Amino acid sequence: MSFRIHLGISKKILNQVQDDEKHDIMKNEITKIVLAGEGGQGIQTIAKVLSTALVSAGYFVSYIPQFGPEQRGTPSVSFIQFSKSEITYPKFDTADIVMVLRRRAIKTIESYVGPKTQLLFDSSTISRQKFSLNNSRVFAIPATKLAEEQFGNKNQNILALGVLAKNFLDYPKNAMWEIISTQLGKKFAKNKDLADKSKLAFDFAYDFQLETKKFTKPEYDTCEEIVIRKNSERTAVIVPKYCKGCGICVLKCPVKALSFSKTLGVYGTPIPDIDIEKCIACGNCFRFCPDSAIRVIKK
Amino acid sequence: MKTLDEQFGMPACFNVKSKPSLFCPGCGESMILKHLGNVIDSEKIGSKITLAIDIGCTLLSWNYFSFDTIQTHHGRSVPVSVGYKMANGKRIVIALMGDGGAYAIGLQSLLHAAFRNDPILAIVINNTEYSMTGGQMAPTSLPGEITATSPLGKNASIFGPAFHGPELVRQIAAPGAFIARATVSNPTMVETVIARAINNQIENKSFSMVEILSICPTNWKMNAAESFEFLAKLEKVYPVGEIIKNKNIK
Amino acid sequence: MSEKKFITGNEAAVLGAIEGGAEMFFGYPITPATEILEGWINKASEDKNLQYLQAEDEIASGFATIGAILAGKKAFTATAGVGNVLMQDPISMAENERLPFVGIIAQRGGPSTGTVIYSQQEVNLTALGGNGDGLRIVYSASNVAECYELSAKIFSTAWKYNFPTFMLTDGYLGKQKITTALNKPLRPFPARKILKEDSLNPTHIRNCFGSEPEFAKVLQRNISDYKFLIDKVAQSESYKVSGATDIILAHGSVAAAAKSAIDDLRADGVKAGLIRPITLRPLDTKAIRSQIKNAQRVYVIESAFEQFARLLVYIVPELASKMIKVFKPAVGFTPEEIYKIVKDNK
Repeated sequence: MSFRIHLGISKKILNQVQDDEKHDIMKNEITKIVLAGEGGQGIQTIAKVLSTALVSAGYFVSYIPQFGPEQRGTPSVSFIQFSKSEITYPKFDTADIVMVLRRRAIKTIESYVGPKTQLLFDSSTISRQKFSLNNSRVFAIPATKLAEEQFGNKNQNILALGVLAKNFLDYPKNAMWEIISTQLGKKFAKNKDLADKSKLAFDFAYDFQLETKKFTKPEYDTCEEIVIRKNSERTAVIVPKYCKGCGICVLKCPVKALSFSKTLGVYGTPIPDIDIEKCIACGNCFRFCPDSAIRVIKK
Repeated sequence: MKTLDEQFGMPACFNVKSKPSLFCPGCGESMILKHLGNVIDSEKIGSKITLAIDIGCTLLSWNYFSFDTIQTHHGRSVPVSVGYKMANGKRIVIALMGDGGAYAIGLQSLLHAAFRNDPILAIVINNTEYSMTGGQMAPTSLPGEITATSPLGKNASIFGPAFHGPELVRQIAAPGAFIARATVSNPTMVETVIARAINNQIENKSFSMVEILSICPTNWKMNAAESFEFLAKLEKVYPVGEIIKNKNIK
Repeated sequence: MSEKKFITGNEAAVLGAIEGGAEMFFGYPITPATEILEGWINKASEDKNLQYLQAEDEIASGFATIGAILAGKKAFTATAGVGNVLMQDPISMAENERLPFVGIIAQRGGPSTGTVIYSQQEVNLTALGGNGDGLRIVYSASNVAECYELSAKIFSTAWKYNFPTFMLTDGYLGKQKITTALNKPLRPFPARKILKEDSLNPTHIRNCFGSEPEFAKVLQRNISDYKFLIDKVAQSESYKVSGATDIILAHGSVAAAAKSAIDDLRADGVKAGLIRPITLRPLDTKAIRSQIKNAQRVYVIESAFEQFARLLVYIVPELASKMIKVFKPAVGFTPEEIYKIVKDNK
């Protein structure tokens, strides 16, 4: 099954038409892509890599991120277009390909999904029910789950890149990895373990068979319940919907009672859990937390 | 009455509906706003506060509290506060701004408010760069500090070294003004200093300014531990405590 | 009830503001508006209810004015020239947040420091000066009596409709001492606290929005609010337009000179008349359109280069081809001059 549009189709049609008609068909062949996820999830990194890759392949490319005042805290969205001829305007109404990696970003990209749009989503964080398109146009990879379990949570976007490269753009594997390692060169140089895991993640995703009928359960989303840990002397309360996973409480705990867990907070990123036996109820976590997401009460 | 899971450990004067806030994970300004909220709660002045906020990440606090808040222009939370306080002296007026709003575009108004002893409180959040626009160099950036507009490190011989704002303001401020610097690494001190500054406005009808050294993991590109390490570096350059006038300078 | 006074335009403006309920003034010295600052300070020494601050610059003056307004006081500023340029920073904020900002703009030559005394060259800036799509109301005083009357009116207009409201004058108006009757204005529209000081229902005012569509909604509402006030606020004066073949369109001091010229023209058998917009924003389109319809010649006369003309042509497009442009940037017109222009063009 080929998911590719425009690129593949245009090649077939091109072989059937006269030379002087080719220009007219190619003139309007713009492929429109929307990428969306949480701020801080690396959506713009994916966009930059894809844009660079498409430029290298000789296309005219346009890329613009969605822009609000805040640095984080709202969904991160990018708009990419590529074509064999010049692109005049950075935005559009309906996308050919939409990728959404987080539930909170769905609202932002809904208007770009048309009846012919192909949709890629992270099934480990979003339920298939959220989309009304029929299955022939909906594809998924449980990117967060795979990242958490195998490749490290910093590699969700690399997994997404692998999938996009192979399944949606038919981009050569090594060429795409070249571009990724150039773009992330500084980060890779600082952290060899990350670089190795990223390569594994990319290779894995490139060959991954996308989910189309059976989807992973969306268990990797913000935990709805409050986390309560108690013993006879104290009760600790952690509120996932306020916790942004900054790790300051973990740093400031004098007895190392806090450590990151698998519970996900407001951005779908891991938040700490507490070992209530180690805890001495010093109040540091509460005192330092920027978002009032944790508190220990002495009995 | 707020239930446990709604208001939770937040100050009572917080506007719960605006949480989780739009500030980044680990934002020092979030911490400072929480400390401000705690002081307002313990001094029982939540019904008397008017807050004027500058542009920059500070603008994200426009609906942060359950009291009147006015978002102004860059460097203008001080003059708005001055006019407001003059019109309604009974309110406790706080102007909130970052290091750009205080020491670059808004410095003129900050100095003159201190000079006139306008009875407002200016809280300056110093994280050595302009955060909302992506981490550009600020007057308070350290020599050699890498920012978006000093990618090879801040060249002090061209842009000046570390800008000591409270010390500058102290030199021209009226004697009754209270001027201090605190740091988010010492939450208790942040609250003590804010409380003292507020009382200086209420009791002594005088100007107060508190600069608070803050962290910005997002634009510093650091994690929690690294951020607090850099903060410790800042504390060596920017002394914490009440700022005393240098009497040798006439 | 009118009382006769021998008074300057700037002095009249101060009295008018006090009649309009003004209690606070923030400003910075700049010719030819400085007498308003000084005049107010004099009045404040007699009346403890009046407060003022000579701020560190015009930007601080404008923002302090906003601060006082938020607290529910009728506050205003007065400036000119480059001070007016700086004032656009606070005025833009007032436009976004729909605050009843009041200012008196005493026009002088520009751009830049220009001259210290006279022009009609601050129409563009005062009527259209903010960034983005802000809306404001602009009156143009043409004599000292209007410096008094409109100075009171701008407060009521501002506080009733919640758009920044301005009175344009100029250095000739401001500094001429003249015998004139001052008509007691109508009872002022009351002020109110804009930051309501209610912690159960706190007032949160912002000017920065997260997305384009979100902000567009705010602007659309402002635009429709503005549309609503046009009929109620737009004002003009028609002077000797009956059967006029030659109509002059002018405002402010130029209109005052034109009146005198028209008296002489009529005396000499020339059927000349004047339409004098009192509000430049919003313009009294109906009156202007109906009066120029039957004119053979329409003169647009201003001490500026096409600033007033530009405002007119957008609202009354038929003027574009019809008008005879009489532009003298930074220079005034005497009645004799205007007389000659009309006489010579017949």
